[in-house]
Amino acid sequence: MSLYEAPVQTLIDELGRLPGIGPKSAQRIAYYLLKATPEDARRLAAAITDAKARVTWCRRCFNIAQGELCSYCQDDRRDPSQLCVVEEPRDIVAVERTHEFRGRYHVLQGAISPIEGIGPEQLRVKELVRRVGEEDVTEVILATNPNIEGEATAMYLARLLKPLGVTVTRPASGLPVGGDLEYADEVTLGRAFEGRREVDT
Amino acid sequence: MHLATLELRDFRCYEAAALELPAGVIAITGANGQGKTSLLEAAGWIALGHSFRGVPDHALVRQQAERAIVRAGVHDGESIRRADVELRAAGRHRILVNGNPVSRTRDLLGVLRVTVFAPDDLQLVKGGPADRRAYLDELLTSSAPRYASVRADLDRVLRHRNALLRGGVRDAEARATLAVFDDQLVHTAGQLARGRLRLLDRLAPAVHDAYQRLAPDQGTVDAVYEAEWSPDGPPGEEDVDTQLRAALERHQRQEIERGLTLVGPHRDEWHLTIGGRESRTHASQGEQRSLALGLRLAAHRVVTEVVGTQPVLLLDDVFSELDHARSRALVAALPDQTQTVITSAGALPSGVTPSLHVHVHAGRILDRAPA
Repeated sequence: MSLYEAPVQTLIDELGRLPGIGPKSAQRIAYYLLKATPEDARRLAAAITDAKARVTWCRRCFNIAQGELCSYCQDDRRDPSQLCVVEEPRDIVAVERTHEFRGRYHVLQGAISPIEGIGPEQLRVKELVRRVGEEDVTEVILATNPNIEGEATAMYLARLLKPLGVTVTRPASGLPVGGDLEYADEVTLGRAFEGRREVDT
Repeated sequence: MHLATLELRDFRCYEAAALELPAGVIAITGANGQGKTSLLEAAGWIALGHSFRGVPDHALVRQQAERAIVRAGVHDGESIRRADVELRAAGRHRILVNGNPVSRTRDLLGVLRVTVFAPDDLQLVKGGPADRRAYLDELLTSSAPRYASVRADLDRVLRHRNALLRGGVRDAEARATLAVFDDQLVHTAGQLARGRLRLLDRLAPAVHDAYQRLAPDQGTVDAVYEAEWSPDGPPGEEDVDTQLRAALERHQRQEIERGLTLVGPHRDEWHLTIGGRESRTHASQGEQRSLALGLRLAAHRVVTEVVGTQPVLLLDDVFSELDHARSRALVAALPDQTQTVITSAGALPSGVTPSLHVHVHAGRILDRAPA
């Protein structure tokens, strides 16, 4: 026998499938929604269905888009010779905040992770290779995460792309700016030493 | 370094207990099951971030209680550091260092350092390769903390690679992915293997010296690394990557057939020999006991040399397993100027003059007067 009325249980189950929401949180949100006014509930439901109906994947770079192309792919002022490869659309937001990059993006929609059964064929890799062949790309920046999966993905892509005659780069990893050396953890500091460079004078 | 204060709440059988610890030797006596080891275990948690008896954290919380609390004050030269740990019966633990919350257990390590002697240390000599690998990797991590993440990275690479091998590596994509994880394996496995080899160079003479003090004139003690991926004897530090890569090539077909990574330091072994004889199979029970003690003394010395501060020695019921001569030899071999906490169910071995002697009974600390 279920502890909850059937519709409540369904709601809790659905909420529990969302990322970062455990059973306790699902239960709390469900009760919050049940107490909310019908208008509030309808507004949330409408926001979800509306977003789902109007937002699609960009046909070119697989970022979130409204319509065929995302805003970066539509923007002619962006430099088509530089292509920044990221795992998820949210990573584009992070790169954009730097205001350092004026090229275009390509979203893989994940990283290689054999444990989860994700190989290159589950990612937007073929599409990336096609873009490098068809567009005027001279440099591909592999901005995947600096963890095992992200490094593996970057290595895989580098081997695939280098023979196509483009420059393949990877952002440096190292010390956080504005921090003290003594507070850097030894893994980060170790990486920073590995990637040290000569001082320009 | 010395542990100055230790406070427990709802830890194991202790509802509430506090102890001020002087320098020198501290003796904790009491019958079995009264809470001697729990005191060491609490101090050990602060140093290691887990129970040295391999017990999960929730099992350390006193029955009926929701959380256990351990507070420690540590003197190291001029500095006094405080560590507070809250272990929950359900959910994650909380750690404060000098009153500031830290998110990773790793940030606690180093506040207190310990060398633990436990009755089952004999397994280091008699047990399988996994016991000896764990000893070596633990020592590596206490002398250079970055090896904790090398170890974690290697475990993750192995899991990915095994998943890939189990899938059969049938198409070009899978083969190219395997090549990438081969590189990652060589990179992480190489770091760990080189770390172990360097450590063993340092450790072997230290074990020899310690063993000579415990059992004089028994022959040279040596430690030899053995890796299947290096078939012509122990690998040299600079050849590690080349050898690993060659072994991966040799074993690729076999690895795919078995769906398992067969090459790497997760399958390595190291042997201890006394006078050229393999200690696991050819040493007497007494020799094996002395060698196990020697391994702990040597680890203590290596950490002291590398880190530059003496860990606190925790001797958990070690003397009950030793005959009179070995007890005396161990007492004589214990380093001076080191805070040493000894638990015993019986009398203290001769030669031990504690600066504090407490008696524990049913989760209470009695007789707190210096002996």
